[in-house]
Amino acid sequence: MSPQRGADAERPAAGLGRRGFLHGLVGAGVAAPLAAAAAVAPAAATPASAPSSSTSSPPGTPASTPSADAPAYPFHGAHQAGILTPAQRNGTFVAFDLTASSRAELTELMKTITERARFLTAGGLPAEVGIAAPPPDSGVLGPRVPSDGLTVTVSLGASVFDDRYGLAGLKPHRLRTMEDFPNDALDRAACDGDVLLQLCAHHPDTITHALRDIAKATRGGMQVRWRKDGFVSPPRPSGTPRNLMGFKDGTSSPALAEPSAPDRLVWTHAGGPEPRWVEGGSYHVVRVIRMLVEFWDRVSLHEQENMIGRRRDSGAPLTGTREHDDPRYETDPTGDVIQMDAHIRLANNRSPQQAEQQMLRRSYNYDSGVDTNGNLDNGLVFACFNQDLERQFVTVQKRLIDEPLADYISPTGGGYFFALPGVRHQADWFASGLLA
Amino acid sequence: MRRAAQYGMLAGGIAAVVTLGVVCTVTVRQGSEARVAHPDAYPVTAGISGCGRGWSDPAAGTQTFDVTNTSIAGMEVYLESVASGDVYLDLEALGAGSTTRGRAIIPAGRYRFVCLPADEDPIAGPTVTVTGVRRVADATPGIPPVTENDLIPASKQYGAWIESRLPVLQADVDALADDVASGDLGKAKADWLTGHLEYESLGAAYGAFGDADEAINGMPASGRTALDDPGLTGFHKLEALLWSGAPAAEIAPFADRLSADVAGLRANFPNVRIDPLDIGLRAHEILENALQFELTGAADAGSHTNLATVDANLNGSAEALAPLRGILKPRYPQLAKTEASIAAAQQLVESYRAADGTWTPLQSLTTAQREALDARIDATVELLAPVAAICDVRRAAS
Repeated sequence: MSPQRGADAERPAAGLGRRGFLHGLVGAGVAAPLAAAAAVAPAAATPASAPSSSTSSPPGTPASTPSADAPAYPFHGAHQAGILTPAQRNGTFVAFDLTASSRAELTELMKTITERARFLTAGGLPAEVGIAAPPPDSGVLGPRVPSDGLTVTVSLGASVFDDRYGLAGLKPHRLRTMEDFPNDALDRAACDGDVLLQLCAHHPDTITHALRDIAKATRGGMQVRWRKDGFVSPPRPSGTPRNLMGFKDGTSSPALAEPSAPDRLVWTHAGGPEPRWVEGGSYHVVRVIRMLVEFWDRVSLHEQENMIGRRRDSGAPLTGTREHDDPRYETDPTGDVIQMDAHIRLANNRSPQQAEQQMLRRSYNYDSGVDTNGNLDNGLVFACFNQDLERQFVTVQKRLIDEPLADYISPTGGGYFFALPGVRHQADWFASGLLA
Repeated sequence: MRRAAQYGMLAGGIAAVVTLGVVCTVTVRQGSEARVAHPDAYPVTAGISGCGRGWSDPAAGTQTFDVTNTSIAGMEVYLESVASGDVYLDLEALGAGSTTRGRAIIPAGRYRFVCLPADEDPIAGPTVTVTGVRRVADATPGIPPVTENDLIPASKQYGAWIESRLPVLQADVDALADDVASGDLGKAKADWLTGHLEYESLGAAYGAFGDADEAINGMPASGRTALDDPGLTGFHKLEALLWSGAPAAEIAPFADRLSADVAGLRANFPNVRIDPLDIGLRAHEILENALQFELTGAADAGSHTNLATVDANLNGSAEALAPLRGILKPRYPQLAKTEASIAAAQQLVESYRAADGTWTPLQSLTTAQREALDARIDATVELLAPVAAICDVRRAAS
């Protein structure tokens, strides 16, 4: 928004009333999806075709065009794949409610998910059942299942820790039901859930195949509650992929900037108020944020760039020239160039205090049809991983309440989850530390 | 269209039994201890002569075959255990000259291919000894194929059960017609439910009763409701009329028509049979139907009795499964679990029936209740799916 817009309250001008009206009526949302929040310029993007949980490649960086036999990301490890893993082009977020009727059934369910995820992420030949059953595999990926860069990331919602399974005393300290932030328009049927599966792969059919496989194997134990599919755009023309507002989104990944960063920003550690089993997990936030793209496309470029704080074409901060230039707020202390309420400035003013609030973002664009008025349902599945939900996501989100951008977005779904520690070896299984 | 719809109800007598032929077994001595590297796939011939040629020196584990039909007609090929006759692989409808790939994961033992040319006797290939371990991971289950002969008693038993229920159904719909004729629409609603549940337990899913089902229990055409579809007759038309407060005079012709249609089904039924091909499918298709039309509420024309229908469908599934028990017991390790799952699902569904016999509307269930119910039915139908695969009619290998 233009600097004058900052004075809306005192001096409403023609055209502004409408936005103010929408703002109040719809309660357009807030989120931290859009601009960078980094104090450290990220390493150059590296192609993701090599299997690695390398910390050098921002998760927003799309995998280079992978071949069908792209190597698998390792399934076993202290942490789950799909967190530090460079974001594959396609992702789906599927929340389930548990229908397992006992802790034993829940344990069985977790073992089944583990077994299917282990197979699907490695790829291989499906079982052969002869004439004794329908084919166990859907065949969607052909006779030999390719790994195709698939990651299966399993997270639990706060509701798992109610009285059903005797786990109340073991809840991750910060985990709770996602609150309604002031500009949210959450549909609770599209929020929350006991289990979140984040499936990501180089191609969409791989995700469809994996979800069908896991759902078939887990029938009776859990039911889909909500789902959102997303994609990461290729670089246009270079650098960080763009979101559907046309801006580069996820320019910097401080949580990956140096090898020790994930330990400070991503991985939750046992001890203090946290139960022992959480070691190596991460608070996983998903916010499905509708973008009111028709409205946005009627806004001048100048106003768009002022709201974000970056150039749309280059992704550079308004105080800089190139995408990865530091915004140098010290040279712009009163917001003459990058407004004080610009998204990137509110999200992270680059002060040492806010450095520890940076989260690992791993978002996906979505394009999901139309609403009742014929407007396109475009938006962002904002996803991020946090060592401490409160210190990071929630703190930043609160700072973004009523940012100018809030009029053009509307958070509709998502939830707070805890990404489980990794499955460490062949005999280990998801949530073993919690349930064993 | 599902196969059940095609085979649903065939006029005529019992199909001819497959003629059994003489089997010629050739045992080939494994000539050498020397291990040859496994090819990606063994090229195997399936012909009138040379059935199973090309599979040699196999070791326990995954066997991949590229099977070529070298005959001039269609062919089916089994891979079977010589000792037990259990089948591990069935390549069906292999056209003359064509090649298709099959795999089986098998432990050490003696096996052979059996080639089953269309309209000719089966030909057994040479016995091949698979060496190595007696247990392999993820082994392919081998089971004896189910033949039409195996299934005929089951289909007769199932058909007899349906036939025994038709007079009950007739009495139900006649009572309904009487209620409407006398103007007692309250009683008509109760008798409608009794009759509808009776019918829904008979396993008419996916057109198994053909045109009779369309007349008795059809759904409105696309874009129409049960109330405004002029071509609709049967239970759902009556449901729409009864629960929308239509006058008795408007309902009466449809009630009489239902009585007549049930009488037609009943009159025709002794002359028809449940096709043996159909009975295995029936076991899971009844519940597939329930998932698609009842647990979504799609079939509701106003009575909000979907849960009652699901209960009747579960009854119907159990009745379709019961005649297959003897066939399934040696072939399906999950049979007991399947039966327990049906029972558990039924117990859960019936928890929504009040003491006075009324049912909770599906729409009144909480999300958690819906999820628990869907999960229970999903798990049950998943367990029932192998029943159809196992009971697919196959030729005897000898």
